Amino acid sequence: MQKFMDSDKRMTAREAIERFVNDGESLVFANCLYSMPLALTHELIRQGKKKLMAFQQGGIEEIDQLLLSDSIDRLVVAYNFRAGGPRITSPLDRALKEGQIVIEEMTNHTLLSMMKAGAMGYPFIPVLPGIKVSDVVKRKGFLGDQRFAEIKDPFTREDMLVVKGYNPDFALMHVQRADKAGNGQLWGAMINSKWAALAAKKVILSCEEIVDTEVIMSSPHLTIVPAHKVCAVVECPLGAHPSEILGHYDYDFPFRALFFGSCSNPEGAKAWMDEWIYNVADRSEYIEHYIRRFGQNTLDAFRAKPFKSVPADYGSTFSLDWDENGYSRNMGINMDEFVAMLDEKGALIHGN
Amino acid sequence: MGTNYTINELIVSRAAKELRDNELVVIGQGIAMAAGVLARKTHAPNSVILTEAGMFGIDPFKVPLHIADPTCSRGFIYSCDMIDIFTTVLNQGYVDATFLGVGQIDRFGNMNSSYLGDPDDFTIRVTGAGGAPEFVGYANRAILTMSGGKFVDKLDYFTSPGYLDGGNSRYEAGMPEGSGPAILITTKGVFKFDTDTKEMYLAGLHPGATVEDIKADVPWDLNVADTLEITPLPTEEELNIVRTFAPEVSMGRKLQLEVVMNKVFDLLSKNA
Repeated sequence: MQKFMDSDKRMTAREAIERFVNDGESLVFANCLYSMPLALTHELIRQGKKKLMAFQQGGIEEIDQLLLSDSIDRLVVAYNFRAGGPRITSPLDRALKEGQIVIEEMTNHTLLSMMKAGAMGYPFIPVLPGIKVSDVVKRKGFLGDQRFAEIKDPFTREDMLVVKGYNPDFALMHVQRADKAGNGQLWGAMINSKWAALAAKKVILSCEEIVDTEVIMSSPHLTIVPAHKVCAVVECPLGAHPSEILGHYDYDFPFRALFFGSCSNPEGAKAWMDEWIYNVADRSEYIEHYIRRFGQNTLDAFRAKPFKSVPADYGSTFSLDWDENGYSRNMGINMDEFVAMLDEKGALIHGN
Repeated sequence: MGTNYTINELIVSRAAKELRDNELVVIGQGIAMAAGVLARKTHAPNSVILTEAGMFGIDPFKVPLHIADPTCSRGFIYSCDMIDIFTTVLNQGYVDATFLGVGQIDRFGNMNSSYLGDPDDFTIRVTGAGGAPEFVGYANRAILTMSGGKFVDKLDYFTSPGYLDGGNSRYEAGMPEGSGPAILITTKGVFKFDTDTKEMYLAGLHPGATVEDIKADVPWDLNVADTLEITPLPTEEELNIVRTFAPEVSMGRKLQLEVVMNKVFDLLSKNA
């Protein structure tokens, strides 16, 4: 796996997608349902990326949007929200019927297990075998037999069901905060984030705010993805709207209802895509447009109130073994005595 | 003065009675979450609610929009991920009950939430499997509710395992002994599963429903219990809890979308 070791990877969403996304690649959404990387997704759509393959655990609107822009032609999915009853067709329904996309149905557990195996560098991983009876296992999609297999437990000889590990080319991810090197911190619903991000060959990360590395170092338990996995860091307030992210904003249900309402026919869907993706340059224009259309009060109503986690105390004595008088706490001697001791014991090598 | 309730409120009130105190229960959203919270606020205060997204021990003050919606709760006791929930929690037998909404169901409680119509030439793709197959497969028992779904002879797509072909077939296929759907609550009545054959039978009627009415919705020759319970009406206390916690569940998704869309158009015209 490639390592990304630059100390400063800050860039715009436009630059990140231009530099790190190529047509035909596979991607995974390293947040699903919660804190969705929608600013990055919209940028990918604006740049007209094509023939992508998406792994999506649970989708709300992003799969439909990627279909309306003809960005993806293969989809591995466990769940995709649908609005409306059986008389209303969704963009996914229409894309499947028209052959615009091929699909592989998974369950939440088995799809995420594909990512976990990939993240750990294992070729496959066991999953709960009871679902062998389900059509999810029995019916094959475009991945064919590169998904489930039955093997024998080498210790008990019992039947096991396993899934193959996958490493998508890139992940899109949105978090509360990151430093400029890309150490990303997420809290709230952990869902698939860790395993999807670690499975990907690179992570394009957006965040509500860039913080100093000292902030990261004081709360390492919150780091969901370490900098060496991350190729780009995009500071992007409201980058997950209309989904929610704790400490910043709640979901925007009316805005979502507008998208789903528009999607019941292709013309309405196209108008929505033009207005909210193609006709805005980036996320800050999208927010300006939102305020123009819905009013500042509507946006402010979704802002989160604080509910602070009690800080974990990462304190220690912050001192060397040498105390304030220059004596070692463990040995009871000072530096001169230490060097003399080394010499006396024959441990010191005398150079020229 | 009589009690006025919506059909969803009746379902929530009845489903809540299925959860016992001190149980660990997996819940998603909607009717199921409203039932779980109602139970916690009444007879099951020590039950622990977790969602598939790894929010363990939530105390939601409003109904979550989806399984990973942490804005429904001020914190929770254990923040793990989805793999942890399926393996260290579910696979180790810790989950007493799971609630699930049903699209299509057959006489042995097998379910479809993937495609309506032949999957190769379908009418609509529903949501897909999500976590349902494993939760129904491995939770100690499943509490099912159905408000827009259908009884069928043969599922269009077999998503989640009930009792397979009945009898012992579920356990022979590897699912934990004793696990499986315990009850189905629909808009008209209450159904349970025969201890031996595992076939679904009618166990109760909602006020106003008749056996004939229900039989007309079921394509097989439905067995009916000798004595049928009549579903108790939701109490004033229950209605208060449900309407405060989850007005969108009380009204149902269709009405909710209509009301919200009206608000959206109102906002857009005000700012135009």
